[in-house]
Amino acid sequence: MTRCTSQPVAILPSALAEGPGVEAFVAVVRSRDELYRWLRDPAPGLQWLQVEGMLGDSDIWTEAAHGESGVPLDVVLSDPALEFSDLYRLVDACAVRSIRVTIRVAPGFLKAAKLAAALRLPIRILPGQPTTQELAELNELLELYLHQPMVEAPVEFFHSLLATMFGADSGSLWTILEEDPAEFPHYDPSGRARLPRSGVFDSTGTSFRGFVENHLKSLVEQGAECASCPWQRSCAAYFKWPDPTYSCEGVKRLFCKVKEAADEIGRDLASRADAKTSIPNLTGSDTR
Amino acid sequence: MSGRVFSVILLPTSECNVACDYCFERKEPHRLSAALLPLLTRRLLDHLENERIEECEIYWQGGEAMIMGPSWFADAGEIMDRAAAKRGRRFIHYLQTNLISYSPAWNDVIRDMFDGSLGTSMDYPNLHRKLFKGGAEAYTELWTRRLHEAKAAGIRVGVIAVLHRGSLEAGPERFYRYFTEELGLTDFQVNTPFPGGPAKEVEGGFQLDSAELASFLVGLFNLWIAEGYASGVSLGPFDALIDHFTAKPARLPCIWKENCSNQFISVDSKGTVAQCDCWVTSYPDYFFGNIFREPDLTQMLKSSRARQDFIQRPKRLVEVEDCLSCRYLSICHGGCPVRTYSALGTMMAKDPYCEVYKAVFACAEARGREILRRGLAAAGNSEPRDGSALHRMVRTSSSRSPNVTPASA
Repeated sequence: MTRCTSQPVAILPSALAEGPGVEAFVAVVRSRDELYRWLRDPAPGLQWLQVEGMLGDSDIWTEAAHGESGVPLDVVLSDPALEFSDLYRLVDACAVRSIRVTIRVAPGFLKAAKLAAALRLPIRILPGQPTTQELAELNELLELYLHQPMVEAPVEFFHSLLATMFGADSGSLWTILEEDPAEFPHYDPSGRARLPRSGVFDSTGTSFRGFVENHLKSLVEQGAECASCPWQRSCAAYFKWPDPTYSCEGVKRLFCKVKEAADEIGRDLASRADAKTSIPNLTGSDTR
Repeated sequence: MSGRVFSVILLPTSECNVACDYCFERKEPHRLSAALLPLLTRRLLDHLENERIEECEIYWQGGEAMIMGPSWFADAGEIMDRAAAKRGRRFIHYLQTNLISYSPAWNDVIRDMFDGSLGTSMDYPNLHRKLFKGGAEAYTELWTRRLHEAKAAGIRVGVIAVLHRGSLEAGPERFYRYFTEELGLTDFQVNTPFPGGPAKEVEGGFQLDSAELASFLVGLFNLWIAEGYASGVSLGPFDALIDHFTAKPARLPCIWKENCSNQFISVDSKGTVAQCDCWVTSYPDYFFGNIFREPDLTQMLKSSRARQDFIQRPKRLVEVEDCLSCRYLSICHGGCPVRTYSALGTMMAKDPYCEVYKAVFACAEARGREILRRGLAAAGNSEPRDGSALHRMVRTSSSRSPNVTPASA
């Protein structure tokens, strides 16, 4: 999603988002009432709505297709292998507002990613620390993203990673996937900031500001594989969280594939010295 | 207001003035009463308001629409357009006719209500479109005369051709030359046949072998690319597919929509509502309701059990068929419900023309890539390799990049 501010974007439960003083925020909605409330009356500062657990509710997608406010939606699939066919419910709403699909990697997630791509929906894949089976699906998805012309919309994090390899300032995976707690602080219903994919809370609201830098620095100092990893800058130890002992062998192959594709593009573009057009702008989905 | 468009296939009569072999419609001497038109219009406008849709396309067809006469249409257009304007909505009218009863008396209404264009149908060779007296040959002769009269009056005419065994035997070249050279058309489309409606013995003869049909369509596609594409001949659905594969906005035909159920309905002269003209004229089990008897079209569509099958179909197909693994899912979505139902007796299966479509899509993809290459080469750029990342990136960075706009912007 595109945010319209350089300020941190707070990811807030719907009820907390009602409060004053948040300059830029994403409201997390989990019920019809919450969704309808924000669709009817989007408050200043609302960047988009994160819709959770409602993909199967056809009535809300009828309402979302009415589209007076145009609020963008980020539809989260928590059980993609089970929910994937419900993505068809989004078709009408897509005609009137921007909709992204966020898919948490779990066995069978590829089905949801394939259908979302067929519906031309931008996709955010949250890989976490993928298992061998999940890595196989990630590899297949990357192959589709890179080489299947029928896949038109961006698939994150592949898309921004590829752009990074052409010099775009997309930040690390933490930023690309909106999981850097300094830029995208996630709050629980009681208002405590929480580190992504963990039960670690910050009651002061300040100690997460250098989290990514500190996390990477700590791993490098401990001699973890991040120290010599060629993808350190792009990854920033994303895959070493929450389990710092996770083996990155499989995910490194993903990075290599993206790099190979970037090199191929570079060669294609350079193959004619008198090319009249410039390198394509690859920063479409995550431009701030 | 949303950017969605809603379409209604409106059948003002089921009557017809010809006797085509493969017609699936139940022909009844019933016409839409002018007295009921304001009610029909109100129901449609209520639905547009409920759905926050600004624009509604009305596809007038039949039966034979021209049986209603030009003055009936002039009045109908005025009634509907005036009512729509009062409520901040707009109807856009299209006319599909067999042209047999066309006369210069139609010119004003075609110009004013239908923006100077109409759609009609003819096959090559014409074996099955027949007059009640005189058969197919007389039909062809009369239709051709009417076509030339309409064109001479400045009317833009698009023609739909339904393929049959005779078309395949004639081959793509003779087929193409008939429409472009003999008739002088620059806008026509090919449809695949299906045995809709009550079973008729003659319909068995319209079942075409998929491999033969695919071969014909690919041959026709290539011929059109070679001779017609650059010179302005529009041949559907190939033109829409080429638009798609060259990253232009494309309006693919209804058979390949993500889900036709939310995009259009059909209403017959008695007010019967169903998914499309094929369903409203042929399959009573799949009627959604009656627009005159039920006060709320939106509620009817929402509560109709018959309509649920249409809504569920694409979901079911990706769950139980092999559509999810198909390269062309994004432009097919399992194909047409009525083609499936008429062939298999259920709509919960993929379109029986699946292999035909795949052949056409593959052809369109290859031709589209060639067009892009020529465009890149002309711009002094290097040629992308087949399926290369560059091709992928050029597409991604084109106008198809998603527009994700902040809510507060």
